[in-house]
Amino acid sequence: MSLRHYELMVILDPEVEERTVAPSLEKYLSVVSQSDGKVDNVDIWGRRRLAYEINKRAEGIYAVVDFHATPAVAQELDRQLGLNEAVLRTKVLRIEND
Amino acid sequence: MAKAVVRKPKKKQNPLKVAKVERIDYKDTALLRKFISDRGKIRARRVTGVTVQEQRAIARAVKNAREMALLPYSSSAR
Repeated sequence: MSLRHYELMVILDPEVEERTVAPSLEKYLSVVSQSDGKVDNVDIWGRRRLAYEINKRAEGIYAVVDFHATPAVAQELDRQLGLNEAVLRTKVLRIEND
Repeated sequence: MAKAVVRKPKKKQNPLKVAKVERIDYKDTALLRKFISDRGKIRARRVTGVTVQEQRAIARAVKNAREMALLPYSSSAR
């Protein structure tokens, strides 16, 4: 059972209310915390202008999450986020050597 | 007889060393913007003056940043 260090970046729909971002992120991340992974750090950047439109949105709410999880859990998290209507885009990257 | 022109390319200093960057991160758009042209294209290594490995890391970071709409794929400057 090896945990790997990942970094997740999500862009949320700007129509989502800013103060609901933290609780809803927590809900999305429950896949990680309910398995034996752990969420290290959640950094909500807030609203930011997109370099180009995504789904006709000119801005998005950015958040960066550092977490440890097994590959299967990381993949499942990405899949669930992709199904979510409030998520414009996601990126999960592995952080090498730490 | 025409004198043979010997071009001595000026060695430019590595901009990453100058900025003291040891890890190239796609989230660091301020840094990455130095390596793209005003049209959004990745600058060539002969222009940027970084090492092969660093250039590769920069290219990867720029492409990741583009996917997350942090940097433009193309900008219509012109």
